[in-house]
Amino acid sequence: MKTEIQQLKPVWRWQVNAVFALALIVVSVIAISIGPVNLNFNGIISTMLGRSSLLTDQERILLLEIRLPRVALAALVGAALATSGAVYQTVFRNPLADPYLLGAAAGAGLGATIAITNSGKSFSVVLPIFAFLGGVLAVLATFLVAGKFYTDPSSLLLSGIAVGSFATAVQTYLQQKNSAVLRPVYSWILGELTVADWESVKWAAIYIIFALGVLIRISKLLDGLMLSDEEAFSLGISPNKIRMIAVGAATLATATAVSVSGLIGFVGIVVPHIVRGITKKATNRALLSISLFGATFLVLADLGARTLIAPAELPIGVITAFIGAPFFLFILKAKRGRAQ
Amino acid sequence: MSADFQVKINKKPTRIISLSPTATEILFAIGASKQVLAVDDNSNFPLNVPKSQLSGFTPNVEAIVALKPDLVVLQIDSAKSKSVRDSLTKLGIPVVMEKSASKISDTYNEIELLGKVTDKSSTAKTLTTSMKKRITKILSESAKKEKYRFFHELDNTLYSATSKTFIGNVYKDFGLINVADAASSTDSAGYPQLSAEYLIKSNPQIIFLADAQYGETSATVKARQGWQGIEAVLNSKIVELPADIPSRWGPRIVDFYEIVAKAIK
Amino acid sequence: MIKVENLSVSYSDKYVLNSITLEIPDGSWTCIVGPNGAGKTTFLMALLGMNPYSGSIKFNGKEVFKDMHRNVAFVPQRPQIPLGMTVREYVGLGRSKIDGWGRERKIGRALIYQTLEETQLIGLQNQLVTQISGGELQRVLIARAIVQEPEIMLLDEPTSALDLHHQITTLNQIELLKNKGVTIVSTMHDITLGAMYAERIIVMQNGKVLLDGGAAEVVHSNELKSAFDHGISVHTLKDGHTVITANKVRNELI
Repeated sequence: MKTEIQQLKPVWRWQVNAVFALALIVVSVIAISIGPVNLNFNGIISTMLGRSSLLTDQERILLLEIRLPRVALAALVGAALATSGAVYQTVFRNPLADPYLLGAAAGAGLGATIAITNSGKSFSVVLPIFAFLGGVLAVLATFLVAGKFYTDPSSLLLSGIAVGSFATAVQTYLQQKNSAVLRPVYSWILGELTVADWESVKWAAIYIIFALGVLIRISKLLDGLMLSDEEAFSLGISPNKIRMIAVGAATLATATAVSVSGLIGFVGIVVPHIVRGITKKATNRALLSISLFGATFLVLADLGARTLIAPAELPIGVITAFIGAPFFLFILKAKRGRAQ
Repeated sequence: MSADFQVKINKKPTRIISLSPTATEILFAIGASKQVLAVDDNSNFPLNVPKSQLSGFTPNVEAIVALKPDLVVLQIDSAKSKSVRDSLTKLGIPVVMEKSASKISDTYNEIELLGKVTDKSSTAKTLTTSMKKRITKILSESAKKEKYRFFHELDNTLYSATSKTFIGNVYKDFGLINVADAASSTDSAGYPQLSAEYLIKSNPQIIFLADAQYGETSATVKARQGWQGIEAVLNSKIVELPADIPSRWGPRIVDFYEIVAKAIK
Repeated sequence: MIKVENLSVSYSDKYVLNSITLEIPDGSWTCIVGPNGAGKTTFLMALLGMNPYSGSIKFNGKEVFKDMHRNVAFVPQRPQIPLGMTVREYVGLGRSKIDGWGRERKIGRALIYQTLEETQLIGLQNQLVTQISGGELQRVLIARAIVQEPEIMLLDEPTSALDLHHQITTLNQIELLKNKGVTIVSTMHDITLGAMYAERIIVMQNGKVLLDGGAAEVVHSNELKSAFDHGISVHTLKDGHTVITANKVRNELI
């Protein structure tokens, strides 16, 4: 006798991802439609769809070569930071972890300062490379400093603080000796997507999409890291291996993001909590939605950065802080409310 | 002008946007004022310039394009200047990259370049000739056997400018001795911070206050602890400099030469 | 069949397991007892493959299982409980590495549902794991192990934190599994209880096997008394049940 198989709903439904993806698309279209130069909306749509355009040549170039890469970059960076933050929060079992732990931010800042100090006026070419290398090397240094305790999250954290402090000290020293770099470094640290070109978008996309792909692929296994090491092991999840892969991919995504956009804060901490708060789920299967919402978040923030005090630009780090801080308090209150 | 930044101009520009206060002064001084559409938010001389909200430090490509200029003067030191230039060029707008001057000859070069660009070469030539003449006259009239020691104060935490900076070179033309030069290795750009101890020890005979616009005066300097023994303080040789003139390298630099000449008389 | 030969585990020159050799047949229930520090948990960890060891452990003739999690499930004594997870998600973790995409996941979900029903956890499925009682947590841990569809289940002190009622419920549930053919290896403090359910008892002391045999045999042996420094008495009740008590006598109760 065949009885009907009783079914549970999946832990994470694909419809949730679809909703977040749709939100990203809508927000992106809005973002590329707004700016100091007024572009006809129909013209935008027809150009995007590849049809012969209703826009002038100059307007087309503005849309495709200036606005679109900027929005694309904001989306990529937002996705990278949000996902890395979520992964670090799981690996370190710390809801306040952000993607700049393990010295990545300080290392990237040092790399950027070295690039600006040494290449005169042409630093814009080498800056992303140096920032990227700085971030990655700092994280590697963190692992080396942690020594044989490299698999223990709290030892890693402490060693990250040590490496980060050292990198910051060196950076400050270099800035002191070269006052001309102060303003470029400062504006880089505040985070800037001010001028994006397709070349940087291409490279950022390759690294970030690869890293996020790895993380989303292992998202189910990341849930195992929330258990004790023995439990994870018994479920077939090798905790050290998965931690390494997770930290490695997250670092790659973070270093790439920082190298093209400077240090943009709050996205990595706040976005995962917002998504978890909305969907009421703690599982790491949320990573794809977190990526999509991170992208949406930063596209919106960038829109604010270039319109709120137009024609001047607000540094994007200021916007993310202004949105991030109250949201954070809100989520915190909600969590406390539910726990009671 | 760096050889990296060639600019091609097809016809005389009549809608120029200047994102440099110095370039603005030059454009108006060579008679190109009617060709200037808008200037950045820090350009304030002459008094009737078409000031806009565009930033010279963090230029916004779209905001610039929205005004439909046919030429943009951009400071090399502004944020992401190369990318801004590339974007504007892609959109068909020629860009003149302005390098920060490090000596007076850079100023003459820039005046002549802007003259060529705006088809005002003859007025530009007249301007540079008259500037050279005036400066030569000032320098010869104030030539002195004695070399005075001076301190150029940028702010009240004692940041100064060495002889390799533009302003330092002006003082050097007078043969003055810059007490900040001893610290020149501590900052590659030429803006070291001196310690109060060192300053007192070096005993400058004249103090120039570039931070007078921020509230530093002869009286506040005299009141500083430990400074009473400094020659410049004892002889009240403290000069409060006007705003902007010492930080730009345009036509008004001649006025600065006059101020220095008066101070050492 | 689990075949262990000369298994030794040491930490900084001290032997925690000292040359253990034994065989565990399929479908049996082996209970490992002994004082704290005897090496019981370390033995389970070695069977899981978590720590380095010398000697050999063979499952059905093979030294190392590639997909061991499909065949061996583990119920920990002190689980790390993540915040914000529901019972249903927590139990579902057992399928993490087993289910792929598509049809496999549907089958996995059906199995989870079935397991939740059989362990009477359906009502709790949306409760946060941080908010359930100790007895319920034990059921949940076992459910998580069940969804792995294992051949062997290792349980570390499954009853030590429970009251008598829940101890019996838990052991009954484990017995059900054994009757379905799962090989059970459990560690326990309580020899009396262990002897009631497991057919074989292994007494460990200082990393070595002190006694190994059928439950009745071990319980009545003289070596057992010597393992406890003769501090215990073994009583057989009229109905045949064996009870092990400490030797301490309170005067008022005589």
